[in-house]
Amino acid sequence: MEKTPAWEPEASGSTTGWPAPREPRAGPSLSSVLSELPSAATLRYRGPGVLLSGALENEEDDGERSIQAFAEGFPKELRDPPASRELPWPMQARRTHRQSYTRDQVAQGSGSRAAHRALMLRRSKEKMWEGLRSLEPWAWTLKRIGGQFGAGTESYFLLLRFLLLLNVLASVLKACMTLLPAWLDGAPPGPPGPDPSSLCGSYNPHPQGLITFPSQVFNLLSGEGFLEWSPLFYGFYPPRPRLAVSYLCSTFAIGLLSLVLILHRSVSGLKQTLLAESGVLTSYSHWVFSAWDFGLSGDVHVRLRQRIILYELQVELEEAVVRRRAAVRTLGQQARVWSVRVLLNLLVVTLLGAAFYGVYWATESTVELQEWPPVQQMPLLKLGVDYLPSIFISVVNFVLPPMFKLIAPLEGYTRSRQIVLILLRTMFLRLASLLVLLLSLWNQITCGGNKEAGECKTCGYNYKELPCWETRLGQEMYRLLLFDLLTGVAVMLLIQFPLKLFCGFCPGTLRRVVGTQEFQVPDEVLGLIYAQTVVWVGSFFCPLLPLLNTAKFLLLFYLKKLALFSVCSPASRTFRASMANFFFPLVLLLGLAISAVPVLYSIFLIPPSKLCGPFRGQSSIWAQIPESISSLPQTIQNFIFFLGTQAFAVPLLLISSILMVYTLTLANSYGRLISELKQQIEMEAQNKVFLAQRAVALSSANRAL
Amino acid sequence: MGNKQTVFTHEQLEAYQVRVMGGALGQCEESGTGGWEPRGRVQSQLWTVGLALRLFYRYQDLAPQLVPLDYTSSPDVKVPYELISRMPELKDNPFRQRITQVFSEDGDGHMTLDNFLDMFSVMSEMAPRDLKGYYAFKIYDFNNDDYICMWDLEQTVTKLTRGELSAEEVSLVCEKVLDEADGDHDGRLSLEDFQNMILRAPDFLSTFHIRI
Repeated sequence: MEKTPAWEPEASGSTTGWPAPREPRAGPSLSSVLSELPSAATLRYRGPGVLLSGALENEEDDGERSIQAFAEGFPKELRDPPASRELPWPMQARRTHRQSYTRDQVAQGSGSRAAHRALMLRRSKEKMWEGLRSLEPWAWTLKRIGGQFGAGTESYFLLLRFLLLLNVLASVLKACMTLLPAWLDGAPPGPPGPDPSSLCGSYNPHPQGLITFPSQVFNLLSGEGFLEWSPLFYGFYPPRPRLAVSYLCSTFAIGLLSLVLILHRSVSGLKQTLLAESGVLTSYSHWVFSAWDFGLSGDVHVRLRQRIILYELQVELEEAVVRRRAAVRTLGQQARVWSVRVLLNLLVVTLLGAAFYGVYWATESTVELQEWPPVQQMPLLKLGVDYLPSIFISVVNFVLPPMFKLIAPLEGYTRSRQIVLILLRTMFLRLASLLVLLLSLWNQITCGGNKEAGECKTCGYNYKELPCWETRLGQEMYRLLLFDLLTGVAVMLLIQFPLKLFCGFCPGTLRRVVGTQEFQVPDEVLGLIYAQTVVWVGSFFCPLLPLLNTAKFLLLFYLKKLALFSVCSPASRTFRASMANFFFPLVLLLGLAISAVPVLYSIFLIPPSKLCGPFRGQSSIWAQIPESISSLPQTIQNFIFFLGTQAFAVPLLLISSILMVYTLTLANSYGRLISELKQQIEMEAQNKVFLAQRAVALSSANRAL
Repeated sequence: MGNKQTVFTHEQLEAYQVRVMGGALGQCEESGTGGWEPRGRVQSQLWTVGLALRLFYRYQDLAPQLVPLDYTSSPDVKVPYELISRMPELKDNPFRQRITQVFSEDGDGHMTLDNFLDMFSVMSEMAPRDLKGYYAFKIYDFNNDDYICMWDLEQTVTKLTRGELSAEEVSLVCEKVLDEADGDHDGRLSLEDFQNMILRAPDFLSTFHIRI
């Protein structure tokens, strides 16, 4: 690109780059021509020494017109209402804009009543959204957290707030659909007395004799004793048909509500991510130009930001090196790398297998251990045995993820891929250990699925050990919830705070290694998702669980905030928004799907307990629904039965597949359109510079003549 | 609001508004509004009286002996760079020298009140994206040749990482930046390239922002 004589690179720091407008030069320079383009309108009306040759006008009488021109030259989307109050315009321009706008409105008159109504509708919708957004709690706290600790930590707290909302809605639904109907037809009766003629044994949840105070407290913690026959658990609810229907429907309603809310949240997050991080984009240019926060003040924050940028650039460079190295690997090296990877994956699988076996064993042996005399005598030991599965799960979730973190660098992947692998493995560990616990419980309840086994023959479930198996499931989930909360508090009080306090006195290196604790976002988020999955599984068997979870998450919010501000230092690595917006809602959905499996299985396939709960005496929990449907009028019955036939399901499936294929094709074509438009933008920029240069060359040639 | 301020005359404050339009269209403005010379200045749009006064008092605090409390006679006062760079908002910013140079009258970092006000108005949250992009471009253009060339990029990266990247890594990073952002493939970033790249960076608006 040739440099015109009007424009020479000047020594740094001497004078401003743009030549002053009135100096005698050989005609307009390239920059002046470029600044007259319509796209430079904002700059022209506000710009600094930007050349305004050819745009001089008289001040006074053209003041109005110039302001008008300015207001019109402004990009269109900013001219639409809402109010010019929010636009960064000087007062006079705003006044003119408002006047012209009202003039237009009057001119249009009744002809555009529809447009006017659409406008009013849009305005009121925006006002409503503004109002809703102002209702969101802790907005200021979250902003402070984001500013001080980064977007990753803020995303954790945003997720926590979202789950809190979910749990509040779920507990309201549960309260309306189970608690209310339970008391509507009179207070529910007490537990069934011993009945010698009953085939399925007897069920006596209330303990005999005098109960000491410590054992009352232990009963509170383990969900037994006075809690076992209480609205907390399934067994308490009386076998009334209407209550049964609403009890069942509440579970489905909660599942549906959770699904809709999570999808809504993940879609909006996905939109942002797809826009912001479109492929080719800007890893390096982002870090060089838009990562530096000019608003940072204070040496500490500035150094931290510099450190973050340094780290990220180094990571990018390293990844490029690794990728380059991977591309030039010989066959022998490839084989070696892959055999290492296979070995390490086998190691991971072994570790996971051992963990799952431990959890399985713990759940199986709880029942046997409870028969052991020393345990019967000491309530504290009994509590420990009750909590054995929870303890095992927590230990496994505490010990294994650091081992994954140690194994991952040995596999020779790039760092971002390592992080993804670690997350996947940890997520699998958490969700699968819960499934294993449920599997072992299922084994106990249904005698391993064998309907003909001795204990399960008469009643369809193991009535000797578990006279009310739904309550037992509910208790297990209750204990998991409580233990999770206890471990969270214990880790904070016994590990984080002491480390912070004592490492003030540690020698230098030890302090550096141990002292600066950071908020580990992925681990914490997976913990949240695990807790929510437990609640989803347990809410059918323990109707008050969402309410308890609301209280737990509320407590957790404040505790984590306290720990964050008093113990943790800001993260030294940034957290990609794509991970937070895409991966975590996905895992949440996975948790929801996984929690649906045991609940649906129990509803459809396991016979309900004969001695407790709203479904006693039925052949299966679901059987209540067809019975209730048969009491509805004939047309509705026909309609509902039609919904279950193949004649409805197959066309629905076909239509859904067609819609999906159509959407995929549409997305594909949009992607192609975007890349084409990008190329077009580049071409236009080149065209513009070329034409401007030609204009400058021509006019200087003219002047020379 | 009833704030009776004695720093500026009413005409001076009004003149800021008119100046936006007037100066924007290249008018001369010794129009009896107190002797302002808006030509060749940044015009700020988000003017409110309160903001103007607040910024003025900050400016005055920098050099109480130099800056008079009464600007009605519009004195010609420049606060030297050394004092401005001690402001808490700018003190630790590695780009403070470039920022003050870009907004100052003669490019040497000494700022008049106008320069000061313009700087904070562009760096505020209400300034539009292309205006911010334009100024960011000027700030990163260390040798003022209207292009961000390799040397400018190296300076930027060194300042960003506090000199802890090796020279080879710095040049690697700069090459990659040019690969990504240079649309017309001339080995340096023009304002167009820079604006296009900024378009695709959603957090540019929030990071190119000084709160005062």
